[in-house]
Amino acid sequence: MLSSLFNSSSQKFSPGIKAALLNVLALAVFLLLWQMLAMWVASPFFPPVDGVFKAFKNLLVKGDTQGISLGTHAWASLYRVLLGFNLGVFLGVPLGLLMGLNKSLYNSTRSVMEPFRFIPPIAWIPLAIILFAGDTRFAFLIFLGAFFPVYTSTLVGVQRVEPLHKKVVAVYGASKFYTLMHVVVPTVLPDILGGMRVAMGAAWLTIVAAELAGGINEGLGRMMLNYAELLKIPEIIVGMIVIGAIGFVLNELLLMAERYLFKWRWQVTL
Amino acid sequence: MTNLNPKLQVGISHQYGNLVVHGDIQFAVKENEFLCICGPSGCGKTTLLDILSGLLKPSKGDVLLDGEMVNPKKHSISFVFQEPSTLPWLTVWENIATGLKIKKLKKAEIKQKVEEVIRIVGLGGFEDFYPHQISGGMKQRVSIARAFATNADLILMDEPFVSLDQPTRERMQQEVLDIWKNLKRTIVFVTHNLEEAVFLGDRVIILSEKPTSIKADLPIDLPRPRDPLSIEFTELRARCFSFLHQK
Repeated sequence: MLSSLFNSSSQKFSPGIKAALLNVLALAVFLLLWQMLAMWVASPFFPPVDGVFKAFKNLLVKGDTQGISLGTHAWASLYRVLLGFNLGVFLGVPLGLLMGLNKSLYNSTRSVMEPFRFIPPIAWIPLAIILFAGDTRFAFLIFLGAFFPVYTSTLVGVQRVEPLHKKVVAVYGASKFYTLMHVVVPTVLPDILGGMRVAMGAAWLTIVAAELAGGINEGLGRMMLNYAELLKIPEIIVGMIVIGAIGFVLNELLLMAERYLFKWRWQVTL
Repeated sequence: MTNLNPKLQVGISHQYGNLVVHGDIQFAVKENEFLCICGPSGCGKTTLLDILSGLLKPSKGDVLLDGEMVNPKKHSISFVFQEPSTLPWLTVWENIATGLKIKKLKKAEIKQKVEEVIRIVGLGGFEDFYPHQISGGMKQRVSIARAFATNADLILMDEPFVSLDQPTRERMQQEVLDIWKNLKRTIVFVTHNLEEAVFLGDRVIILSEKPTSIKADLPIDLPRPRDPLSIEFTELRARCFSFLHQK
């Protein structure tokens, strides 16, 4: 009976809508289990779902202890992330292309570029605190986190360019610029988008750490730390959930861009 | 018609380091002639086409197209490669338009030429498909359409049908002949298949092994359409065969 129900629903809905419904269901099950577990444990260190929701509503409407609303905190963090992320993409892609196309330049500057990759953005925080203030500091740190995934995946993607595809346009007398824009970039674009998604993850990792290190009153990381000092767990969890949700939405947006840009890869074969 | 000045005049030798690829290769191709070049594998056929296209400079000598040193930026040259060479991120239509776009033709002119060649090669209805959505034979047809779309002074074909199955191959051979008759182009077609060479060419050049030289230059004066089973065809093929295997 259950299977017949499932079958009829699979005929009624498109695969996309079905997946969305199943995700809503999974989320509901998760929240239900959380609520049950919290009620069973009954500890102030394990807040129930409704407690977290109440904290969420309060933060959204009334704001935190200083009257700064959740929206302001979230926007502050998102703004810094987007600033640093865009900077990382705008510098990472051209530099990755340049290094990928100039093997000798890449090989001769490896010892300068590569070690930077292994300095985590968090390790830059002390220096950034001294050198920069406000959004510039955060944008700088996020740029460091976002740059390398984009740069490295672009660099790797360039190696994927087929010599035959270059030859196809060379025979018609294509200029270097034409080859770059019409052969190299289309080949590398999927790698760039993949690198951007990794960079987005790195950017959120960095922003929370940077905000925890302090300096400014707005930002989700700052908000969470303030409530940690007050031992208020629901508000901390609200901060975590908002970070996760914004990251999820940004990732989905990038995935949508991928699906749109790479129709030539995604469409089903005849 | 002035046959005094050939369309393509080749006089080259080529070597990589100490490896002599082409000894001394000299031949000429007339305007609108269909020349087939046949040779054992590894004799540098693809290298020869690279030199004819102007992409590779020969160690010695030069290639003259319409009396001038061949140059992809100046001349209009088309190349049909052995491997599928459609650009996967472009639709069939955009792939065929590639050469015309690089040559900076006007939009209306590109549209008209692409539509014409799509009709001739029978790709109508597939304009908006991506290469991964069509068969290998159709991909090669797209490459051929791309080659014939430009007003090419010279079309170079490097074993374009080698990866196709026999029936598709035979159909495509006939199609290339039809397009060529229709649009009138100068073609240099490389193959290791003698039957293909005798079926297609006005002339067949037989190459030796490395260091490569020309063993024979045979006119194929059979009327078209040619019947590969006719006595004349079989005899010519046998002559080519004996040249190819002569030490």
